[in-house]
Amino acid sequence: MATTTDTGADFRTRLQEWLPKLVLSPSLAIMLVFVYGFIAFTIYLSFTDSRMLPSFGWVGWDNYDRLFRVREWNVALTNLAIFASLYIVICTLIGLTLAILLDQKIRGEGVLRPIFLYPMALSFIVTGTAWKWFLDPAIGLENTMHLWGWESFTFNWIKDREMAIYTIVIAAVWQSSGFVMAMFLAGLRGIDNEILKAAQMDGASNFQLYRRIILPQLRPAFLSAFVILSHLAIKSYDLVIALTGGGPGNATALPATFMYSYTFTRNQMGIGAASAVIMLMTIAAIMVPYLYAELREKK
Amino acid sequence: MARAVTTRRKIATTVLAWAIGLLIFFPIFWTILTSFKTEAQAINNPPLFWGFDFTLENYAVVQERSDYMRFLWNSVIIAGGSTILGILVAVPAAWSMAFVPSRRTKDILLWMLSTKMLPAVGVLYPISLIFVEFNLLDTRGGLILVLMLINLPIIVWMLYTYFREIPAEILEAARMDGATLKAEILYVLTPMAIPGIASTLLLNFILAWNEAFWTLNLTAASAAPLTAFIASYSSPEGLFFAKLSAASTMAIAPILILGWFSQKQLVRGLTFGAVK
Repeated sequence: MATTTDTGADFRTRLQEWLPKLVLSPSLAIMLVFVYGFIAFTIYLSFTDSRMLPSFGWVGWDNYDRLFRVREWNVALTNLAIFASLYIVICTLIGLTLAILLDQKIRGEGVLRPIFLYPMALSFIVTGTAWKWFLDPAIGLENTMHLWGWESFTFNWIKDREMAIYTIVIAAVWQSSGFVMAMFLAGLRGIDNEILKAAQMDGASNFQLYRRIILPQLRPAFLSAFVILSHLAIKSYDLVIALTGGGPGNATALPATFMYSYTFTRNQMGIGAASAVIMLMTIAAIMVPYLYAELREKK
Repeated sequence: MARAVTTRRKIATTVLAWAIGLLIFFPIFWTILTSFKTEAQAINNPPLFWGFDFTLENYAVVQERSDYMRFLWNSVIIAGGSTILGILVAVPAAWSMAFVPSRRTKDILLWMLSTKMLPAVGVLYPISLIFVEFNLLDTRGGLILVLMLINLPIIVWMLYTYFREIPAEILEAARMDGATLKAEILYVLTPMAIPGIASTLLLNFILAWNEAFWTLNLTAASAAPLTAFIASYSSPEGLFFAKLSAASTMAIAPILILGWFSQKQLVRGLTFGAVK
């Protein structure tokens, strides 16, 4: 009798000990296989002579070598550089300005904040499509202006090889600025009021207050905004597909759209895989140090 | 004097903030408004804010042209299914990390979160090959699985942060009172975890609803959700603003409603917890 209760209690303690690990493992296993396993497979493919279907002839760095000689890939990289830098800088500026405005304890903040955030809740594919109509000279802004009698008005960036990439910046900035605002607003609200009061007592002007105390304290918010915006920029796919389809020609191709079209319309799986690996590595290079620092700090 | 200046400044900032807010919201507002106008009124000069003939004709045309209800239903099934499945898998994991943390918990979290930032193209080949192999292309079941997989890290992470906010003292008190593990989970933890689970549910539903890379590339017709619906209107083909506005309003309507209630979760989820 005594022994059975003993083993019963023993079993229970052992279960208590093991249960947490046991229930954690399915999630871990899923991610291990479906993310890292699959990424490993993609990396492996990038070193093979796969074309339409995976094939396992090892070709070393050949695909990478050829990738960087493909003109479209270089166009995509240039576009990414233009898009990402404008997107990050403009979103940060607008987001910070909006956050400072909202931080003045203005009337109706509770209604305004969701309004600023609304675009981010929408799908990139919807906003992209809507912006496409709006920017299309035949039906959108330009046409409307003509109908209203302003005959000389032109706005055809979306059809212009040189300018089309900026239409993607416009749509993306509209979508994300409010979200960046929320990040900065949280940062501003986290600043200790005592410090600000002390500085004001010492006769600091508003400008000095922002420049010397508030902005430096927002450093973590700047960092988060940078990491989040840059990974969104590198991953960008839906918005481009909806807004320009990568065109005109391939004037607005980004790495993700390049990867997709090069694989499935040109049957160059090896080169496509190489481009995916480059994107993975770029994001990892930005993200890993950030997440690492973030977690260490929160201890 | 100083007071007068601050009041005036306050009014100025309020007006400015509202002006920018309305500017940002204007495209959404205008789209919804236009969807209820006739084509002629949609491009009327001056633009009509009111006094137009309210019509639902555009919606009827769009529904007839592309069977909106079928897309909507697919979206509901796919987003809902993947969210519920994800929560079922993630709750035990998040519970384990939040209440029985080990030395490795932080590293595991870091590792999980990092997967969410990686681009979808990184796993495109294996997933499309599996889809072909198992005949999952253009099935709702296949999409539910994929969306569950790609959102699982964020679900675990969100649940973990919510669970962490449940004070450990309460659990200890329950244990002191001799509550078994089962009782502890059922009567103490669950009631306190429900708000966090609901928030995670909401956020993930929106993320899954908006997801376009996989839904566009892995569906053709029968399982296509609203992302495919709106993409099919990408080239207007003789449609004009009122009809297009009706189509986009139909695509965003559910999110417009859910979005209002989920602002906090959205920020928290999309910033990976950097902003609470």
